[in-house]
Amino acid sequence: MSRVESVTKPHAMVGNTPEARLALLEAQLKEAIVEIAELRARDALKTQFLANISHDLRTPLTAVITHGEILRDGILGDLSPRQMESVRGIISGGRQLLNQVGEILTYARGAANQLTLVPSRFAVRDVLDQVTALNAPLVKKKRLTIAVEADADLPEIMADREKIAHVVANLLGNAIEFTPAGGRVWVRASRGAKEDAGSMVVEVGDTGVGIAAEHHDLIFREFAQVDATPSRPHHGTGLGLTIARKLVELHGGRIWVESQLGTGSRFQFAVPFEQPD
Amino acid sequence: MVEDSELVTDALRVLLESADYRVSIAGSIAEALGIPHTDAPSVALLDLTLPDGDGLVLVAPLLASGWNRVVALTGHDDANTRDRCLAAGCIDVLLKPVPARELVSRVAGWLQ
Repeated sequence: MSRVESVTKPHAMVGNTPEARLALLEAQLKEAIVEIAELRARDALKTQFLANISHDLRTPLTAVITHGEILRDGILGDLSPRQMESVRGIISGGRQLLNQVGEILTYARGAANQLTLVPSRFAVRDVLDQVTALNAPLVKKKRLTIAVEADADLPEIMADREKIAHVVANLLGNAIEFTPAGGRVWVRASRGAKEDAGSMVVEVGDTGVGIAAEHHDLIFREFAQVDATPSRPHHGTGLGLTIARKLVELHGGRIWVESQLGTGSRFQFAVPFEQPD
Repeated sequence: MVEDSELVTDALRVLLESADYRVSIAGSIAEALGIPHTDAPSVALLDLTLPDGDGLVLVAPLLASGWNRVVALTGHDDANTRDRCLAAGCIDVLLKPVPARELVSRVAGWLQ
């Protein structure tokens, strides 16, 4: 059998000499390298597709919301109370869609390394208060107790404010969602110690359902959800924590969770106070 | 507005007209260049992705014919794009999708 034929028939009976086996392995290795390159290219294409399509979806979605707001604000005449409710439904649905599409876009840009930091100096306490205020209605609805604290001597941080706010919002949103009515949620910012010295540490904790130890890594992975079936009780893109991790790591920080099933969770992230120039 | 998407122009037109602005729309570079000097707008919103080319090529000719406030509309959120627009003569750059409620107050700002 010629050398070429033995390469193209990998399962055929090739000679059992070390040379023949080596040749076969080298051929298979070459094939594998080519296939990996093709898969990487396809993965990049899919990520780019995600970024493009979510970018494109925002225009018609914004049109839906804008028209809803035009109706709601009475610009084209007054609405009856029931018409008003219907319009609010349009706006609410539109906004939820826009948020999910925005999440997919951020994920895709992150995966394609197209996200950039826009740092500014700010007090983390302001961001914590801002995010908490946005979640106040839901907290009230679920009768949760919420505590927001920051060390009195916490310095201002040099970071991308919007991205840090996004991370806090994601963690707080999860804490609220996964804590049954009447439970407790807290957010606190402090100076990091030991391996996190020089960093600010933010903790978002809850007395909710908790996460089993074997899922602690899984939850940060894209598309992974502890229950991914369509009938799962908690819906979403499964991208929130993946994005949170990407945004934290963009700052040179780290994010982790301490939790046990049944006893609540504490999500923490550390971000350096200063960014390199 | 120099913008070819009706989805974008319909909603913005309603908002701007409700704030008592007169709104005209051109859907392409060719159409925009055909607008007479006497109809020069107080503010122009210029989409960069037009069916017949890059909207930025319009800025110089439009400014020369009496348009004096051109704002670029772009979906690209980066410093490079922003710099290109400002260098071409735009007074500001708006990110798409345009936050509609903000638009009316920003127009007022540009007109001051």
